[in-house]
Amino acid sequence: MIPRYQRILFWSLISCILLMGAFLLRGCREAHRRLTALNNVNPIAAPTTAAKEEVALYMASDADATIRSVRSEVALPQDPSLRARTLLEDLLAQYSQPDSAHPLQSGPAIDDVFFLTDSSLPSSNRTILVNLHGSFADNHPSGIEVEQLTLLSIIGTLHSAFPEFTEVKFLADGQNRATLSGHASLDRGYPLVDTSGRPTAPTEEATQP
Amino acid sequence: MTQIRKPTLTLAFFVLTSKAYFLLAQTQGTSQPATSGAVGQPIPTPPKPSPAFYRNLIVLDPAHGGRDNGARLSNSAVEKEITLAFAQKLRPALVAQGFTVIATRDSEPSEELTTDQRAGTTNHIRPLACVVIHATAVGSGIHVVASSLKQSDAKSSAGRALIWNSAQAPTIAMSLRLANEVGLAMEAAHLPVLVLRASIPPLDNLTCPAIAIELAPLQQASGKGTPVFDSGYQQRAAIALAQALASFRAHNAPSPVPQSAGSRTGTPQ
Repeated sequence: MIPRYQRILFWSLISCILLMGAFLLRGCREAHRRLTALNNVNPIAAPTTAAKEEVALYMASDADATIRSVRSEVALPQDPSLRARTLLEDLLAQYSQPDSAHPLQSGPAIDDVFFLTDSSLPSSNRTILVNLHGSFADNHPSGIEVEQLTLLSIIGTLHSAFPEFTEVKFLADGQNRATLSGHASLDRGYPLVDTSGRPTAPTEEATQP
Repeated sequence: MTQIRKPTLTLAFFVLTSKAYFLLAQTQGTSQPATSGAVGQPIPTPPKPSPAFYRNLIVLDPAHGGRDNGARLSNSAVEKEITLAFAQKLRPALVAQGFTVIATRDSEPSEELTTDQRAGTTNHIRPLACVVIHATAVGSGIHVVASSLKQSDAKSSAGRALIWNSAQAPTIAMSLRLANEVGLAMEAAHLPVLVLRASIPPLDNLTCPAIAIELAPLQQASGKGTPVFDSGYQQRAAIALAQALASFRAHNAPSPVPQSAGSRTGTPQ
């Protein structure tokens, strides 16, 4: 026969365990919510005296492989190199938002942007050189569509902001790199054109030679 | 002594042992000398010119392999395994349509071929089409990709070389038609499809009609997805792709007239 005081003690301890379990579970959920919120680690905009300007960001969507032009207000410095870098960093930071249609990992993406203007060449051959962070390329999602959309997004945004340039080339950590993340070619130059649009649907007419 | 590198040996072995070797040997016909002339000496027959392409030959290129795993699709699946598995499902479907199939790899290679080597091999054997196979964890359905190069009028001929990085340009119109055929076949098989253009190796280096097929998970309305390593999904895609290639052959390379059409340069065989 178990004495009454021992039974009371036993059930009291069980109650304490259950209460502590519930408390821990709640704590875990709170911590998970805090960590999820931290995933939105867009860099806080540095204090700047530059006025905000309206720019066109060419946003990609993985679901339908479209590129859409979206107006956005960004504080851009006057120096063209810094201006292009800030613009691209802002563009790629949009993709690290939790509700992004083209999710990319957050973090620094653009190391430098150079404008190659050779006075000996005709004005039609003006190139922008984008030096990506190697970590951005290494952590980029791998696939033809997703890599191509990132490049088209960068190309369209640069074309909109710098229409006088005709070509863009990419480096990673200052070196040539064959592909962005195993698929889309980075060792060629891309024409700077308006990349907005959607894929063409297959048709019966297009099957005939 | 000249040292021969291992990839060169691998490539040479592949070319020599492939079925393409037999096809070329059969069609070029250089071994039979002609009958004697006025002085009784045998006059060698000029070698029969190679056809522009072999209308029943398809090259499959399961991308990645060896140390190159490609994309990580799940904790246990990497892209190089999925591309190989899909190629192995596609091969019998193509054979059933009357195609001869050559793959750039049939297993996990000890010495991987670069994309340039794969393109070189494919260009050498002149197939009707080349299908580069990829897989991804991003997006939904089938992505059919043709090169983003612009159409060029430069023709590949004996006296004129093509630029390696834009070798696909003269053939891009046919590649776009092939991508369109595949898109239609996937839609007919009730598989969501996106027809895209991109610059990916080795598409730009191929001289035959070429597309890349990228398998992505199937997203269903209920929220449950079908992963790319699902065997049934791969089988449906493989059958639709084989039907599309047969339709492409019927539209673009109809069966030649038996007597004369096959013997001239630039005609399919």
